[in-house]
Amino acid sequence: MVAQDLPSSEPAIPLAAPEPGAGPSARPRRGSKPGRRPNPRIDQYRRTWYFFRRNTLAMVGLGILVFFLFAFVYGVSYHVDDQQLALWCATGGSNTTCTPGEPSVCTYSQGTLPTGPGCYMTPVVAGVPYSNFLAPTMTLSPPSLGPAPFGAFVASGQVGTPYFENLYDGLVKGSMWSLSIAVTIVSIGALTGLLVGVVSGFYGGIVDEGLMRLTDIFLSIPQILLVIVVIIAGVELGLSSFQGRIFLMVGAFALTWWPTYGRIVRGQVLVVREQKYVEAARASGAGNARILRKHVLPNSLYPVFVQMSLDVGSIPLLVAALIYIGFPIVPNPLWPEWGSIAAEATLTLPSLILTCANLAPGTACPIPWWQILFPGAALFLFAISVNFVADGLRDALDPRLRR
Amino acid sequence: MRMSVYIVRRLILLVPIIVGVMTITFALISAIPTPQRIEASFPACRGHCYEPWQQYIPCPSNATQTCVNPLWTKATTDLGLNEPIPVQWAIYMKNSLTFNWGYTSNFSSVVRSFPILQGQQVTTVLGWYLPYTLELALLSMVLIIAISLPLGNLSAVYRNRPVDQVARVMSFSGFALPAFLLGTLILYGVVFAVGGSSGISPFCGGHFPALNDFYGSWPYQGCTAIYGSTTPLYQGYPTWLQDGIISSPTGFPTVDSAIHGNWLLAGDTLLRLIIPAFVIAYGTVAVLLRFVRNSMLEVMNLDFVRTARAKGLSEKAVTKRHAGRNSLNVTITVLGLLFAFFIGGFPVIETVFNLWGVGRLLALSLTGTFDIGLVFGSTILFTFLVVIANIIVDVLYAYLDPRVRLG
Repeated sequence: MVAQDLPSSEPAIPLAAPEPGAGPSARPRRGSKPGRRPNPRIDQYRRTWYFFRRNTLAMVGLGILVFFLFAFVYGVSYHVDDQQLALWCATGGSNTTCTPGEPSVCTYSQGTLPTGPGCYMTPVVAGVPYSNFLAPTMTLSPPSLGPAPFGAFVASGQVGTPYFENLYDGLVKGSMWSLSIAVTIVSIGALTGLLVGVVSGFYGGIVDEGLMRLTDIFLSIPQILLVIVVIIAGVELGLSSFQGRIFLMVGAFALTWWPTYGRIVRGQVLVVREQKYVEAARASGAGNARILRKHVLPNSLYPVFVQMSLDVGSIPLLVAALIYIGFPIVPNPLWPEWGSIAAEATLTLPSLILTCANLAPGTACPIPWWQILFPGAALFLFAISVNFVADGLRDALDPRLRR
Repeated sequence: MRMSVYIVRRLILLVPIIVGVMTITFALISAIPTPQRIEASFPACRGHCYEPWQQYIPCPSNATQTCVNPLWTKATTDLGLNEPIPVQWAIYMKNSLTFNWGYTSNFSSVVRSFPILQGQQVTTVLGWYLPYTLELALLSMVLIIAISLPLGNLSAVYRNRPVDQVARVMSFSGFALPAFLLGTLILYGVVFAVGGSSGISPFCGGHFPALNDFYGSWPYQGCTAIYGSTTPLYQGYPTWLQDGIISSPTGFPTVDSAIHGNWLLAGDTLLRLIIPAFVIAYGTVAVLLRFVRNSMLEVMNLDFVRTARAKGLSEKAVTKRHAGRNSLNVTITVLGLLFAFFIGGFPVIETVFNLWGVGRLLALSLTGTFDIGLVFGSTILFTFLVVIANIIVDVLYAYLDPRVRLG
């Protein structure tokens, strides 16, 4: 029998039935505030925070993360008049016009090579139906010697030029893209994995066997390759617009990320399921759904948080790697993402250095170091701060490591 | 459960995984338009025949009319493209399992850059480049083990002390830097440090001119400046594949050079691998270090370690022989999986350092016009490798920790 003044959703601790005749007020209370039952979970959070706070690296990481949070909010609210991206989006991503009136390859019938300068989708081989995957070839202004490093930081508010000359806009808008993509992918992956893991671990039997084989299958395909192949297939199926590509990328990454979570959660649920408190809950008449919601789920969550924070840091790095090896998820100059800005500049380095070697001695070498340094530093700081926080969380949450 | 029974059970579990993986790749390749699929299933045409992906060609008897291309018909029959989906699936499964992964394209960007790759069997091409990646992977594995095992143990023993903090910050910094950035920084750091302010690679010409043909110049196109030539020396594929100038009995560049008695070349090939291997190791040590540290921490709280201390053993003996050895199980599992991941190639590192390998091949087949055959071929190959590595790791783990196969 549950005492009257308790919120009925909170009997996390099985209570002894009060003696008949004695009201709720007769029960001794723990906790500071009279009249309210202490919430053990809040105590736990407080304890975790105490241990977390004592970890210097984790606190530094948390500070950097808070900064990125503000940068994200600023990035979302920052308005960039991105003409080229808007144009590309307006034409469904399959066509682009570099300058008005210039011919574009998509207006040519398939198989005939366009003559003269124009805005080409892809180098076309006569007679060969080409993939519509490729990004429109943009005419990039060559890395000029002109702009001073800090000229690149003047907020211009319009992006008609590549982010090379407009680094401030790129960085600010990039904070929006990089962070939102990472968080979205990881949340989708973790939620799916959580569902699969809990169901699989809690129900066991043939459900478990089936779901685990499914995760095995997905884990067997190397992540990067699965992402690439899914994006190729998706674009061929018609998701070639800007929104389509972003959607595809998020979907492809989430598809490769959920199995890890599924496994982690399942392993944790298998341990929690056998604990005494679950047995006690069952003995006091709790059903499967209630035990799952109140006992199994909260107690299997912390490895998920740790893994999530690790993954959030590594996703922008993976996107950057994909763009660096030349896989055009979204045309680089159009898409302000930290990784793509840095990759674009890094790609120009070999030829620049070659140019420098042939320059007259004493001439300054036009290396766009700022375009590499600042987005690279943003990527680095984000990944490393998230890692520190993850490690701090792990140390604070695992009671065996506190000794 | 006896070991052999465990292995057999593990192998039986392989069947659904292979079937499932192939089904996923089948579903994905079905999304590719028919002409490209046909193109990826034919050897090089080299201009002497009608291209198979053209459904209609001028009739042989009367050029003003169009006839159905017999090659198109043959390809659609071979791939079963007119059959119902289950039959297509069966054909795809059969082809994949018999290593018939199709051909490289006739027109993709990678093929136009490196004509020797045109219309080759995908398995052949992957076979050429896999040894390069294997050498790099092995070398980086050695470096990773040499760095992370002692460092992880140290980190666990001196938990939250300066040693631990420094080790973790260093390893995290490798993990958090994008690989292409780290690689480029180190590459040009080395180039400028050794070659002076000119930015000309010290590895160009000079002592080892053979290397320019052997591996491609390092960095990319870096040697053109020295020779003042507009034609890059960078050839894109090993010289011995062109004319049989050097025969390659094993396919591993270092081993081959040694077999030919060219120790200078062998040493230099290794030398070129060391910096990329270091970059790879620096980027991955964090992953392994975390596991080593955590498993060591867990073991050090166990009773037998306390017993060992109580016996009066020295701290060194306790951490090395008792705790260290018992914490290795998890580490070996992670190492095995890491190696499987490594065999999948290093697209970024191989691109940065202009090295050859399957990762570079993948990167190249993804730029410009895709090479569908190569992309899907590498997917199948790497998936097989991961599956095999998983089994080896599981068996090894069961061998090391009897609780796994007995429980």
